[in-house]
Amino acid sequence: MTPEWIEIGRGLCYAGAGLAFGLAGAGSAYGIAIASHAAAGVMREKPELFGRMLVMVALPGTQGFYGFIAAILIMTQTGLIGGGSLKITLGTGIALFFIGLGDGIAQLMSAIKQGEASAAGISLIARRPESAGRAILFPAFVETYAVVALLATILFIIFLTQPSIIQQAVR
Amino acid sequence: MTTLTTSLLPPSLKNRPEWGFVCGRISALEGKLLSKEFYPSIIEMHHTEDIFQHLQGTFIEDYLGPGIPWEDFSAVADRCFYDLAVSIREDSPSPVPANLFLIRNDYLNIKYALSRMEGVPFLPGTISEHIIYSVLDRDYGDLPAPFRERITGPAMDLDELDETASDVFVDGAYLRHMLDLAAQIDSPLIQVCVLELVVGHTVSALWRVLRQGRDLKSIVDYMMPLGEENSLVFELSDMPDPAVWPDIIGGEIGDLFSRALQMPYDEQISTFELKVTNLVLHMATYARFETSGPERVFDFLMALEAEMQNLKLVVTGKINRIDADVLGARLRYVGG
Repeated sequence: MTPEWIEIGRGLCYAGAGLAFGLAGAGSAYGIAIASHAAAGVMREKPELFGRMLVMVALPGTQGFYGFIAAILIMTQTGLIGGGSLKITLGTGIALFFIGLGDGIAQLMSAIKQGEASAAGISLIARRPESAGRAILFPAFVETYAVVALLATILFIIFLTQPSIIQQAVR
Repeated sequence: MTTLTTSLLPPSLKNRPEWGFVCGRISALEGKLLSKEFYPSIIEMHHTEDIFQHLQGTFIEDYLGPGIPWEDFSAVADRCFYDLAVSIREDSPSPVPANLFLIRNDYLNIKYALSRMEGVPFLPGTISEHIIYSVLDRDYGDLPAPFRERITGPAMDLDELDETASDVFVDGAYLRHMLDLAAQIDSPLIQVCVLELVVGHTVSALWRVLRQGRDLKSIVDYMMPLGEENSLVFELSDMPDPAVWPDIIGGEIGDLFSRALQMPYDEQISTFELKVTNLVLHMATYARFETSGPERVFDFLMALEAEMQNLKLVVTGKINRIDADVLGARLRYVGG
């Protein structure tokens, strides 16, 4: 394998890392904005509900961290952070690119939808503050699939970047 | 026959994040809307002091100072609705849903000015007081397009109209304005509700004219044009017997008209108007399935307006010693 192909492979996996945290961060920002609008409206009438609103608004923020974790893992496993860089093959680069992209899309969508679910929960709390415990459950279900996407991403990254696998492919 | 909407099926709703703030506020306000059980309990009360105590914690609480006479309760309720509607309009990305309720006062002020009476008795929604005063000087140039264009289009001399024709003319402009506003906002639910209100208002206005012994054909032109409802208006004006109107109107409103005809003669029109309002109130509750959007604003203001009308009815009814059964039958629909 020529150095040019290895460079392309490395470039693709870092592009995947960029997409993983970029899309996830954008989704979290959008989801938090959706929930914040609703929470601010509720607090105009009931400022005493600030504490309960804060939890609901913060929920869609987790996806941004999940994307960040995926990106950091790609960077450490491929040697960009910590040195000892691996020779990434073109195939591994393409695979990591799409893993980063897939994770980013999953985090983006779940963050936006969690923001909408949080806004619905905020409406419920505004009407019935005693329902805060139940209102948090529905957006939490949306979180499940963000966590599943992150776990799948972590497993793929770890196994794809096993030195033995890459060396075998390079030979 | 008018093509009425499929009122039993909920129109599509989509969440719009830009409406999140005002809808969050509405979620908090909805908790203060009165329940169905509230009104019968007021009707059963014997002392005004008890009613005053019972109204604590409601929207109207802040407007009921110690010195406010009960005779002014209707004005207090109107002011309460107006203030909240204006405040919600300020918080909304589009003023349209709130204006659908606020323009009614504007057209009542125009009617008042056209009858050459000084003053602006109703709280102005979108038309300022100085524009209303200019109507007294026969200057209609700053009035809304649905009113102004009807004068500048086909020749129309408002000064030559009698009171009934003038009222019908203003009613027509008001209904056109409602349809124009509904067309400005991308919301099938609001458009369906406004269309039902317009059909109901058109039918009741024509019915009242008919009760005055007037020839509908000679007066119906003042109400036009009403878009898709033009053919309905012409068909009704061709039939001076209301007994055949349910078939012409068709749909849910036709059924309501048919049921209203079974009431005593003096209660027919008011019963029909109440049933149409209740139908739209019920339809608007579909908005509660969405988190944020203009439909939530429309639904809340419909419910708030119904609450104020119900409070006016039961409180002034109690003061005037009107029978509890009569008051109960006149209450507007209260959603769950």
